[in-house]
Amino acid sequence: MLLFEKRENVSTKLKVAIPLISVFLGLVAGGIAILFTRTNPLIVYQALVKGAFSSVYTFSETLVVAIPLILISAGLIVAFKMNFWNIGAYGQYIMGAIFGSFFALNMPATMSRPLLLAIMCLAGILGGALWGLIPAALKAFWEVNEVISTLLLNYIALYILKYLMYGPWRNPASHGFPLSKPFELNAQLPRLLMRTRVHLGLVFGIIAVIIIYILITKTKFGYEIRVIGENKRAARYGGINITKNIFIAMAISGGLAGLAGLAQLSGVIHMLQIEINPGYGYTAIIVAWLASLNPIIAMFVSVVFGGLETGGYQIQMAIRVPFGIVGTIESAVLFFLLGGEILKRYRIRFRRNTS
Amino acid sequence: MKLTATTILITLLATTVRSGTILLFPTIGEIFTERTGILNLGIEGMMVIGAFFGFVVAYITKNPYLGFIIGTLAGGAAALIHAFISITLRGNQVVSGLALTIFGLGITSFYGQRWINNKLPESIPTVVVPGLSKIPFIGSIFFRQDYIVYFSYILVLALWFILYKTKPGIHLRASGQNARAADAMGVNVNATRYFWTFFGGLMAGAGGAYLTIAYATFWLEGITAGRGWIAVALVIFAMWNPINALIGAYLFGGISALQFQLQASGTTMPSSLLSMQPYLLTFIIIIIATLIVRARHLGAPKELGTPYSREEK
Repeated sequence: MLLFEKRENVSTKLKVAIPLISVFLGLVAGGIAILFTRTNPLIVYQALVKGAFSSVYTFSETLVVAIPLILISAGLIVAFKMNFWNIGAYGQYIMGAIFGSFFALNMPATMSRPLLLAIMCLAGILGGALWGLIPAALKAFWEVNEVISTLLLNYIALYILKYLMYGPWRNPASHGFPLSKPFELNAQLPRLLMRTRVHLGLVFGIIAVIIIYILITKTKFGYEIRVIGENKRAARYGGINITKNIFIAMAISGGLAGLAGLAQLSGVIHMLQIEINPGYGYTAIIVAWLASLNPIIAMFVSVVFGGLETGGYQIQMAIRVPFGIVGTIESAVLFFLLGGEILKRYRIRFRRNTS
Repeated sequence: MKLTATTILITLLATTVRSGTILLFPTIGEIFTERTGILNLGIEGMMVIGAFFGFVVAYITKNPYLGFIIGTLAGGAAALIHAFISITLRGNQVVSGLALTIFGLGITSFYGQRWINNKLPESIPTVVVPGLSKIPFIGSIFFRQDYIVYFSYILVLALWFILYKTKPGIHLRASGQNARAADAMGVNVNATRYFWTFFGGLMAGAGGAYLTIAYATFWLEGITAGRGWIAVALVIFAMWNPINALIGAYLFGGISALQFQLQASGTTMPSSLLSMQPYLLTFIIIIIATLIVRARHLGAPKELGTPYSREEK
């Protein structure tokens, strides 16, 4: 039988090894799934890496996907630190995109670009934050389970987007396709590198990571959410205002997801449509967890996962391996990571069954 | 048959039962899983796995019942991943459940792509129950269904009985309320949790398989469309009671049936707003249910989501 012996402290080596081994085993599990389709997984993975990291352009595409992951995971870390399960980044991302688009579509094309972009970013943050504050309020006042409320709000946000795209916001010139008018130049985030789609959102992401890192490690707020996350009762006895902290944390978490949605539209897609990749909201959960809720590590993990997604699109197009393999690998990584975390807490020994 | 208001209502309610059955299986399964103290948020993933395997087997063998059984088992197998991580390895149950959902959606989209344009030759046959189907109104709604629906009626009654009137029922409730005390009583807490987590997976698989075999009769990527999450919400609505789960599942089955009916009849309401209704209503009802649960001090199983080990205090 298995015996668990409590560890007193965790070595850094183990902290680094567990996520790395999890990623490796996740890829092995994905490889086994690929084998069942009578395809050589090594060829698939080779194509995947090539599609994500082999040239300046493919790497720039990886960064383009990493941008929303960096922003969203930084926000999720704040919520997860206090054990608030925000599964709603998907919906908050959509609401940020919708709020920001409102200004992109309705302000004159002659408006100053920095001014319009600033308004759009604020609107994006506001949209995401408002959508995040709904489950926050329900949790704080009535203890409504936030996993369920944030998830249902994802679907509600998706249908609001669909309603707008098939209805009032559809471009009359789109021949019936659910697309908005294209954004004018003054509503487009500037590109950072020539001939790539890497946009200013990357800078937002890096700034957000630095701010969140300082916030959670150096401030009273960071201390309080950690205490709430570890022991809610102790936090309450210690005089920590839980309601206030839930609101602040979810405004940050939702706001960054909203900014990610807006940045994706304004920096990459340049119009509002139904497919705006809100699924990054789920991928970012894995990123945050894999980074042990450290925003700086999450930034690098985002690049790895950006590569996985970019490479996933490439192999779908180049060698017709369905994109579902990406979700399979991501979830397998997460399973191994969760399973591996026990090694941080316990030393595991085998013993012949005696009981 | 004349198309009177009554016949329209009967058709609608009969569809409600079928559509509700999709939610009934997973809701009831999750009630039992949670009652033992394990939170499995992977219902959506297990359902879509059941839906896919159920469809493929039904399509290949042309036997919907075999499809249903395999889909059910596939859901159970998926639940074992969650059981291993949350019971044996004491991992985080919220994240593991989410991983299971992402896994189910990913793997079925990966293998399912080439099945997308196929359709089952026919839906599962309707079996009229002699006698009972003659009851006016009720008979036409509840007893002109298929075998799987009849199976769900018996299952709900049997599970209610097991939960409240038998020793295994006491054991599983004790495991979720106070694992240490249950252990002292001689209950094997972790074995109980394994079994009912597996059972929850079977039920989620059954709901998914019923969806593709009897309701939709085709396969589509992500065909469960959030029904698994609605089932998670219904568990709270049902206050962890199998009979309430029946009411909740049919209520939501009714909302989807009505929404399709309205869409087909060509209302002026935009279809995206109609499709939003089940989620919006679940959202509102979950708030109300939470308030009721709190006011009546019913609450979730006390140790929901807490791993148990003997050595640790």
